[in-house]
Amino acid sequence: MGTSAAHNPSLASDREAASRQAAAPAHAAVGPRHYGRYVYLAINIAILIFLLAPIAVVVVFALNPTPFIQFPPVGVSLRWFEKFFASRDFMHALGFSLEVALFTTVSATILGASAALALARGNLPGARLIVVVMLSPLMLPAILTGLALFQTYVLLDVGRPTWGLVAGHTLVTLPYVVRTTLAVLHNFDLRLEEAARNLGASPARTFFEVTLPLIKPGVLAGAIFAFIVSFDQFPVSLFLVSPGNETLPVTLFNYLKFDLDGTIGAASVVSIVLAFLVVIGLDRTVGLRSYVKL
Amino acid sequence: MSQAPTQRINGLALFILPSVLLFALFFFLPIGLMAVMSVLTGNPVVAPRVAFTTRHYARIVDDPYYLEVIWTTLRIGLLTTLVALAIGYPLAHWMARIKSRTGHALLLMAVLAPMLTGIVVRTFAWMTLLSDKGVINQTLISLGLISQPLKLMYSETGIVVGLVHIYVPFMVLTLTGVIGRIDERLEQAAENLGASPLRAFIEVTLPLSLPGILAGSLLVFALAISAYVTPILLGGFQIMTLPVLIYQQISANFNVGFAAALGIVLLLISLVLVIAYNRALGLVSGQRELQ
Repeated sequence: MGTSAAHNPSLASDREAASRQAAAPAHAAVGPRHYGRYVYLAINIAILIFLLAPIAVVVVFALNPTPFIQFPPVGVSLRWFEKFFASRDFMHALGFSLEVALFTTVSATILGASAALALARGNLPGARLIVVVMLSPLMLPAILTGLALFQTYVLLDVGRPTWGLVAGHTLVTLPYVVRTTLAVLHNFDLRLEEAARNLGASPARTFFEVTLPLIKPGVLAGAIFAFIVSFDQFPVSLFLVSPGNETLPVTLFNYLKFDLDGTIGAASVVSIVLAFLVVIGLDRTVGLRSYVKL
Repeated sequence: MSQAPTQRINGLALFILPSVLLFALFFFLPIGLMAVMSVLTGNPVVAPRVAFTTRHYARIVDDPYYLEVIWTTLRIGLLTTLVALAIGYPLAHWMARIKSRTGHALLLMAVLAPMLTGIVVRTFAWMTLLSDKGVINQTLISLGLISQPLKLMYSETGIVVGLVHIYVPFMVLTLTGVIGRIDERLEQAAENLGASPLRAFIEVTLPLSLPGILAGSLLVFALAISAYVTPILLGGFQIMTLPVLIYQQISANFNVGFAAALGIVLLLISLVLVIAYNRALGLVSGQRELQ
């Protein structure tokens, strides 16, 4: 970090100052440098538009009254939202998705946080390898997790129970909790626990009064991630849902194969709003910076 | 890192057990069963007699169609990775170097928001943009630039665009961490010695961020070859990839053994990628310890 950064919060002015210093003898170099700066910004803004435009289009489409895609939109109406909230199928799917996400969050948080604790403090042999295995559902194809679980349930003849779906979701959300909790545990001052022990606290009391409050932000961040990932989960769900008990993404997927009206847009907006609320909540409670490190 | 490795296992280690049980029952057992199913002639629950067979694998290797499917999958994965790297790098660089906290938070939100929007929703968004009567074609036609809609959907291009949008945040987050760890004074030193910002970037920053490029690319590639919502909806079963084929074998043909064999092929490709990814991440953290 340059010392000038402390005084100039914006990157542009910092760079400007640096380049002016550097290029003081050769004035000709100043022009292209500024030009390069604009190109850099223009490219990045174009990329941001690419990332965010599809979401904006969905919102526009959800509010547009025509039953087909029309651009530019002809008006604003809430008819697709009415249709979505009046639809028995969509409402049932929304409720079921929330139910599964809730169960998943609870189980993934409890299992993931305790696993992270064991990995960081248990002096387990091969802890590094266990971490790799526990994070692997993030990278291994979720379609295989879904397919393999589906085959297992068929072979064991257990049908397609809700607990089976929750188990599949727990498997793919657990890595998030393990990762965020481990991140907090690694930045943890062990002397705090030692101090509590030296002052006469039992191991259990030390855990509940010192360790747990300190790792809470990581666990909470992991739990919120688990909730969103489960709520949006599709590849595992597609194999494990039963007709009549479908999650919202599966219902949307089946609807999309035949219909492309604004109801999908409205359903999408509802889940986007939910995601945004959670991201903002995440930023307010634990701060995004702390755990989006890989 | 925090504790000496010589310490003995303690009671806290027991907390790993519930997760181990979960992985054993709902991950390793099912994957193992899938491997078994891939070499059986039928479903042992339904069929009275099943025998060992390699015919599912022979079918994949012998029929050029299936090799073509695997090649399409890898090609789409590779294209997605390259495009995601090309558009992910500038954004990651900006995020890593931006000084203002608010600016950083806004960028992070812009990257995370699509990531936290479901895959089905984002694919739907691309359908509204790319279809024959979609936003892009309607706009181009009304501007008089084209008379016939461009075939953006039901093509490999459409699938790649959709996949890039879904996986570019993973690339950005991986790269931001790595670029952020590169000492900015190295670039400044190069510029003070007379290098242009572009040259300083190409000769200093870019080589130092190679491990991140590798890790991010492997991650995106692994995710892209296992995607199937986007290829199904944007490709409309006209472009076959391995995951789409697996889904089709289950939903339409109910050929569990063949689906399992295809699954094992996909798993093996992914395992290689996961191992390579962890190696690449090891390089990144090795670099961190050096600094």
